[in-house]
Amino acid sequence: MSAIIIFSLLIAVMLTGMPISIALGITVLTFLFTMTSVPIESVALKLFTGIEHFEIMAIPFFILAGNFLTHGGVARRMIAFAKSLVGHWAGGLGLTGVVACALFAAVSGSSPATVVAVGSILLPAMVQQGFPRKFGAGVVTTSGALGILIPPSIVMVMYAVATSTSIGKLFIAGIVPGLLLATILGLVTWFIAWRNGYPKLPRARFADTLRAFRECVWGLLLIVIVIGGIYAGIFTPTEAAAMSAVYAFVVAVLVYRDMPLKRVPKVLLDSANMSAMLLYIITNAVLFSFLMTSEQIPQAMAAWIIDQNLGAWAFLIIVNILLLAAGNVMEPSSIVLITAPILFPVAMQLGIDPIHFGILMTVNMEIGMCHPPVGLNLYVASGITRMGITELTVAVTPWLIAMLLFLLLVTYVPAISLWLPNLIGAR
Amino acid sequence: MKVLDRLEEGLITFLMAAATIIIFLAVVHRYAAGVHWLNPITRTMSFSWAQELCIYMFVWMAKFGAAYGVRTGIHVGVDVLVNRLPPKGRHAFIIFSLLAGAGFTGTIGSLGATLVYEIASTGQTSADLELPMWLVYLAIPCGSYLMCFRFLQVCWRYIRTHQLPSHNEAHVEGIDDLHPRGGQ
Repeated sequence: MSAIIIFSLLIAVMLTGMPISIALGITVLTFLFTMTSVPIESVALKLFTGIEHFEIMAIPFFILAGNFLTHGGVARRMIAFAKSLVGHWAGGLGLTGVVACALFAAVSGSSPATVVAVGSILLPAMVQQGFPRKFGAGVVTTSGALGILIPPSIVMVMYAVATSTSIGKLFIAGIVPGLLLATILGLVTWFIAWRNGYPKLPRARFADTLRAFRECVWGLLLIVIVIGGIYAGIFTPTEAAAMSAVYAFVVAVLVYRDMPLKRVPKVLLDSANMSAMLLYIITNAVLFSFLMTSEQIPQAMAAWIIDQNLGAWAFLIIVNILLLAAGNVMEPSSIVLITAPILFPVAMQLGIDPIHFGILMTVNMEIGMCHPPVGLNLYVASGITRMGITELTVAVTPWLIAMLLFLLLVTYVPAISLWLPNLIGAR
Repeated sequence: MKVLDRLEEGLITFLMAAATIIIFLAVVHRYAAGVHWLNPITRTMSFSWAQELCIYMFVWMAKFGAAYGVRTGIHVGVDVLVNRLPPKGRHAFIIFSLLAGAGFTGTIGSLGATLVYEIASTGQTSADLELPMWLVYLAIPCGSYLMCFRFLQVCWRYIRTHQLPSHNEAHVEGIDDLHPRGGQ
């Protein structure tokens, strides 16, 4: 009963268009004030203690690192390297887009930024070479979503925080699905280009490939520091994030010299702004899950679902549908923070691996960014290509279908997510 | 007003930079401490307080950054439905949600102030830094009241000009100057 009241209240408040963080907070306050005897003073304390964990502090650091390297110059170097690798196959520049997005995703935790950085350099070049506009838009919009699957990923940190799972293990688990999805998107691109006879580029000389690699390797080392550092036990994930922020600063300002020193405070301010927004959602989501727990809603839901004898198979279908639906109206971090504390206990009871479940949620979030009405990637891509949302939706369809098939694959083949972390025995 | 704006921006920029540097130094120090010939230097320093300080700095950054975020329009909600309404209904909903934001943050600010007052009377201190806890928790009332003020400010501006601050999530540095030769 109280579950129904809480959720109707939350949905009603959210639909008024107020910030999600505020909507969560108001729901909790209203419910506590009118329906329970929980002392309301404890709410203020929760707003502080909710984010008083060192793990959560990885988020601002990763955002800072990403913002230093989410720079046109870095994207240009990665595109040059990708072009020299795959440009000579059918649909050369299209494949280049997929590879460049995958590379850029390794330094940036944000999908829309990946779409903008790669798209605004690559798309004009593609149009110039005679590719139809919708082909280029489809490639970049969907490949940009790799940003949150290939580590470092803010969404994964959110999941880890909400469910007390290991950040390092999630990151390592994201590598294989990320590469697999990049391959699948590449195959779709290649197939469409091959059938329509889209232009290829001349094969790059080995020396050129090597030079292009040397140019972009500084950016790529970031991901080596993060994954290597966590895996080897040199850093905790939060320390790895702080190290990568310092490293990204050195690369952007001293090595690449893309960023004049006087722009650094602006980057710091923008990162702080973004982080504060996410931390504010986290604090209110913590409040919300505190309310959930005190009303024993996750337990009740878990018991109910297990009573239905659904089994893991059907439960995962429901989770996928629920998350894809939520992806229509909300952005990834909020969805994860609100749904993970409720779905996670059920998944555990059904014997689903926590890491597998995390990857599954992340892939769902990725798809949510690419389909209307609220796919952020679509909006961003529509800004670059000056195509309407409807036209773009048609353009991304082939890749979107491939992503949905990939989601099914990830859902029902846990080994894709679990093989690598188990192989190297990540903790 | 300008002073308050600059102060807010300066504070969160500083906290972001300082927390990064502190954790960086703490990690460097931990590994330098293992090197024998650096011992005379590293022995004189201790970074056991770094984690705690980093957490407090980020909590402060989060509270004041959230207020700054109201001004930059970074807090997004589910606006699909509201945007489909006729302009008059849309205005009403936007004003309602801004006032709800102000009401919520105002309430939290007052709860926080009570909390700070109660904790101050217990004389509690933090584990590593031994800072008085009331000072640490002061972020809640100050940040929330500031946020409340920002909501009211945005609301007032909206009523007068029908303009909301909007955040451009898709901005990437250094793209604009690349664009003219985008074709390479």
